[in-house]
Amino acid sequence: MRAGIWPPVILGAAILAAWEAYVRLAHIDSLLLPPPSSVARFLVENAGIFARNGLNTLSELLVGFVAGVIVGLGLGILMQLWRWFRAAAYPWLVATQMVPIAAVAPILVLWFGFTLTPKAVTVALMCFFPVAVSTVDGLGAVNPELLRLLHSLGASPWRVMKMASFPSALPRIFSGVRVAMALSVVGAVVGEWVGSTHGLGYLMLQYENRGETSGLFATVAVLTAMGIILFFLVGWVEHLVLPWRRYAKETL
Amino acid sequence: MTAAVPAMRVRDVSRTYRDGSRTVTAVQGTSIDIPEGKFVTIVGPSACGKSTLLNLFCGLDRPDAGTIETPADGEGPLLGRVGYMPQQDLLMPWRDVTGNAAVGLECLGVAPAAARAQATAHMARFGLGGFEHSYPGQLSGGMKQRVAMLRTFLCGRKINMLDEPFGKLDALTRASMQAWLLDYWQENRCTILFVTHDIDEALFLSDVVHLMSPRPGRIVLSLEVDLPRPRRYDDVVTSVAFNALKARLLDQLGRAA
Repeated sequence: MRAGIWPPVILGAAILAAWEAYVRLAHIDSLLLPPPSSVARFLVENAGIFARNGLNTLSELLVGFVAGVIVGLGLGILMQLWRWFRAAAYPWLVATQMVPIAAVAPILVLWFGFTLTPKAVTVALMCFFPVAVSTVDGLGAVNPELLRLLHSLGASPWRVMKMASFPSALPRIFSGVRVAMALSVVGAVVGEWVGSTHGLGYLMLQYENRGETSGLFATVAVLTAMGIILFFLVGWVEHLVLPWRRYAKETL
Repeated sequence: MTAAVPAMRVRDVSRTYRDGSRTVTAVQGTSIDIPEGKFVTIVGPSACGKSTLLNLFCGLDRPDAGTIETPADGEGPLLGRVGYMPQQDLLMPWRDVTGNAAVGLECLGVAPAAARAQATAHMARFGLGGFEHSYPGQLSGGMKQRVAMLRTFLCGRKINMLDEPFGKLDALTRASMQAWLLDYWQENRCTILFVTHDIDEALFLSDVVHLMSPRPGRIVLSLEVDLPRPRRYDDVVTSVAFNALKARLLDQLGRAA
């Protein structure tokens, strides 16, 4: 990340330029592949629509993401503290990830209607898993010598969790949270596809039906931008929460 | 004149554990008295059961046979009664120097802010002044060991066990840390049980040196080190008395091997 913002910007601009040139020179039908310039024009002319619907998707996504992270953390800690629960629940947690989310989403609409809830639940279903797995792994990876030291000092299991296991697991947990953030964009859009009256996923369906390919591409661009910003926001929060990582050459 | 009550009394302690299908006798029939306020060192080759012995002494493990008591400190379970500084510094990279030094106190139930305040008061004496808010990743090896030592000593235990605390340091840092530890001990007069495989270090620091044999670990030689204090490294290691003691230890080691 420290390499700076320029390399990705230059690469992106080069790809866009090549795309634009290809569409113009080869006279590609803009219904199939619109040039970036017309996508950009569409984006600017319909900024209000994108802002409104983007905000809708963002709120579904954030509610689902926060719920998923909390559930994932809770399950991870519970599985670490209670071996029996871990053995019993782990295969079932894996099973939840094997069910295609696109198959579950309509059922959720059936249960919760055309509200925010089915989208948030879809997002949460995708988010909790990487967080739960990284929490279990992280909590289990504490240096056993450190645990022995704390026992020799008479620390209770809860204090050991608070003082050693959890902080030492945080870098791994954050990796899981970053994966969850990337997945949550997909979750929100899938949730909207199967039943919604607004949001970026809804917008995509509308543009597709009307044959407005520029609009479709513009929506994808907004979604992508939103996902990237959210992803790096998580990285920024991690940086704030874990200032010591800058100095730690080895994990304990 | 009656002998003073020892800080720790170890009688006929044995510990055997299973390693897969075979049984390993790590410690066998070991007896030691650790007098109060003395600097006692256990020397031995690697894998002689030193770590097993330390685990028993600080109550993390129980002997199969024999007793370990702390007569000067009353009855009751050993766990939490003996200060223990393990070989690895085990500093938490997410806590700053003060926070790491305060870990022991916090485990004893001192509020974090008060524990930090107590730790801060000792920073200068431990050569950590100005580094209160540094993270372990920013410290040198010697400084990390001093933080770990402060964490141990702050708990105010009557007995402190130090397991090869200077083992990973370079020779110069090691010499200055030894001198520093002797100074500190002479000011504070806690009981120290020191473990090392370095005979020079053992003789330079200690009042009593116990030599352990390879597995099964037993005490095969106990030496009173009656070199005058305060000791200066250069003077001590070149003295005739020091070298006579060293010869006895080496002789015994050669016989055991």
